[in-house]
Amino acid sequence: MPVRPVIRSTIIAFATAGALALSLAACTPQSSTGAGSSDSPVRGGTLTYASGDAEPTCLDPHVGGNYPQALVATQYLEELVSKNTKGQIIPWLATKWTESKDGLSWDFTLRDGVKFTDGTPLDAAAVKANVAHIQDPATGSSTGYLALGKVASTEIVSPRVIRFTLSQPDSALLESLTQPWLAIESPAALKRSKDVNCAHPVGTGPFIVKQWKKQDSITLVRNAGYTSPPADAAHHGPAYLSKIVWRFIPDSATRYAALKAGEVDVIDNAQPDTIVAAHKTKSLTELNAPRPGASNRIELNSGKAPFNDEKVREAFIRAADVNDGIKTLFFGTAKRSYSALSSVEPLGYSEPGLFGYEPKKANELLDAAGYTTRDADGYRTKDGTRLTVVFPVSTNQSIPAEQSLFEQIQATTKKVGFDVKLEPMDLSSWYAALAKNDYDAVSAPYTKVGPDVLRILYDSASITPAPSGYFANLAQVDIPSLDATLEKAAQVSDVAERSALYETAQKTILEGYYILPLYDQQNHYLLRNDVVGLRALPSVSTPLFYDTWLDR
Amino acid sequence: MTLGPGTEVEAALESAASTRRSGRGAVRWLSTRLAGLLFVLWAAATLTFFAIRLIPGDPAQAILGGPGSQASAAALAQARAEYGLDQPLILQYLGQLGRYVTGDFGTSYSLHESVVQAIGQQLGGTLVLAVASLAVAWVLALAVAVFSVRAGRAAWAVGNGLEIVSAAVPHFWLATVLILLFSSTLGWLPAINVPGPVGLVLPVVTLAVPLAGFLGQVMRESLLNALHSPFVLSARARGESEVGVLVRHALRHAALPAISLSGWAFGSLVSGAVVVETIFARPGIGRTLLRAVQERDVPLVSGIVLVVALAYCLVTVASEVLDRVADPRLAESPR
Repeated sequence: MPVRPVIRSTIIAFATAGALALSLAACTPQSSTGAGSSDSPVRGGTLTYASGDAEPTCLDPHVGGNYPQALVATQYLEELVSKNTKGQIIPWLATKWTESKDGLSWDFTLRDGVKFTDGTPLDAAAVKANVAHIQDPATGSSTGYLALGKVASTEIVSPRVIRFTLSQPDSALLESLTQPWLAIESPAALKRSKDVNCAHPVGTGPFIVKQWKKQDSITLVRNAGYTSPPADAAHHGPAYLSKIVWRFIPDSATRYAALKAGEVDVIDNAQPDTIVAAHKTKSLTELNAPRPGASNRIELNSGKAPFNDEKVREAFIRAADVNDGIKTLFFGTAKRSYSALSSVEPLGYSEPGLFGYEPKKANELLDAAGYTTRDADGYRTKDGTRLTVVFPVSTNQSIPAEQSLFEQIQATTKKVGFDVKLEPMDLSSWYAALAKNDYDAVSAPYTKVGPDVLRILYDSASITPAPSGYFANLAQVDIPSLDATLEKAAQVSDVAERSALYETAQKTILEGYYILPLYDQQNHYLLRNDVVGLRALPSVSTPLFYDTWLDR
Repeated sequence: MTLGPGTEVEAALESAASTRRSGRGAVRWLSTRLAGLLFVLWAAATLTFFAIRLIPGDPAQAILGGPGSQASAAALAQARAEYGLDQPLILQYLGQLGRYVTGDFGTSYSLHESVVQAIGQQLGGTLVLAVASLAVAWVLALAVAVFSVRAGRAAWAVGNGLEIVSAAVPHFWLATVLILLFSSTLGWLPAINVPGPVGLVLPVVTLAVPLAGFLGQVMRESLLNALHSPFVLSARARGESEVGVLVRHALRHAALPAISLSGWAFGSLVSGAVVVETIFARPGIGRTLLRAVQERDVPLVSGIVLVVALAYCLVTVASEVLDRVADPRLAESPR
């Protein structure tokens, strides 16, 4: 079984991150399947993938740049570097890289003999064209654009060496470059119109976009001339699968029914109830790959009353019974987090002691904060103003179990006198509410590779809304010393110093009670047992079907 | 009563006059309908435009990769200028109406293709779904109506109960139950859209059952009235068989209110398609509409609403024409 262990090792890797994942691996029936009946991988066959994420509006992840794009683009586009399960940066389209002493200049040496699927060779000019494409306002890149924020210019040193010149040292540059939103596409293809490139992006990946039937499916076919697997791939040469049909099935129950019936082979966004059901089904396996970057957490808006008072923030956190809610609503599929960062981030720092359920202490804190009176409905008041927490909930981003968890938090914090107003709304309205500062608490996922996500989320500069109204510092943390720590951490390349700086920063955020961490950004895949060799890329946890084959 | 030669002439004259009258009536009827149609389309376009612009959310973000995009100032400015979003709302509205008159439905912000193309790709799926559902609903409603009228008091109660329950069933609930039963448990039918008619079964049943409940209620009532009317009695007296009475006489009457309802039914099918297409992962304008609204894709939402409004009007007019064929008295009466 040369390929099968890949799945297991992925699961085990996550299991070390938490006892929960261990228990999942224990109930995962994969080892009991007949997957190992043939020792050598079978070539050919069509795999059907069903995504619960929204259908991308553009298959080129340079444009915009969201997770649904990353999921599918992982099959046909590749990055300069990748990340292994230990969190180390490993070669991909670039074989080696060197940073100048001042950290302002990076030289990347490109892999030799790689061609895009339209025949264009991968060279320094191609990388230059990609950076230019992402930085061109006309492309409308948002994720990739932010990640290249410190890249001032690029220079072709030789056909195989490209130099990035930075405006400031960037300790997150390599981590950023592992992300699919910074994939390298054919420069010839990028010259076509945006609409054409959105429908048929051209990369170096193991599969090629053949057809996109909107609202139905994307058909990917094997790239017969494929030569550029990442350093941690299990084999060389073209992919085993001859075709992938990438479908969009928004309804969770439908997606699971289709998987169980064998109409599809792999599904993403598996919900807690279906994960539990899958554990009881012999023909199905789970792959649990939490997303990197920030944990899922409730941000408390410290920019205005009532949460501008640290006592009130702590009172809210002490009054929220999160653990019992997670236990009953997620059936053991999600592990409680006490960190601002995902458990897959090696530099994540946890402080469980801050987040215990202590309603008595919450009451004392609220008394001390001046919320000493209660109104007729039992809510606390101060100077005639009720202790109200406006909490807009994005029904697109918060799964039903999470929305129920918020309701439980609403119920338990009510006991000490908080009036939490949960306001479910669609994504556009939700962003509009945030842009208008119409919120006291909010939960917003953020996926990014590496701890630099902390700078995006908690630097005071991120309180100022971008031109689109978007701002990332939803807790509105405004601490000059934290800004300085994060700024420094983003520049130092010394591993120990960087790690210490990020720990200091996380302590500040956690101990200031700005956030209530819940769990990792959930990312569960379910697959049929005869799908062998599927792994999630350790960069942003998207599945890669390069090593995958069908044992049927 | 005797018929003299004079009365025959009078009858012929009367008949000719009535033909002329009904000819003029038809023209007037048609032009009233056309004016109504244009009004409905204008109203639909106007309401949609302002409704989607008044709810929170920024269409420029739909252009730049969806809500929450962190697009740069330059990218936003470029998108706003390119799509005219920097102009006052009233000018944008007038501009859109003007383009509609010239047949230009614009480009979808989120799909990066023309609205006509986007709807064209998706309309077929929804039409097949709606027409099949309407047909199945008719058959179901008719079957229950005939059964409950012919098989006694208990059957009446059963039929009535069935209709009320099925009319009250929400699509999303029925769809989930059908998937759990026929896909997950029994494994007989696919939960998702697969090539061929088999993928159509569960979505069509989901849409048809509640509709059959509504249609059945009106059909059964008028079927019962028809069966107790004098012309049925005289048909029976002429020796017409029970089946003949039902098929040739009573059903025609029973069909009338149901035909009139079919226009409304078609509209309700399209709204049901939003739910059904999403749950069963079928391509179609319902699913496209849901997504377009979420992304504040104004041109696409407006385009779909116009198409649905047009279809609704056409089906309504068609059902009125059918009414007239089924019941010639309608053509005589002023409308």
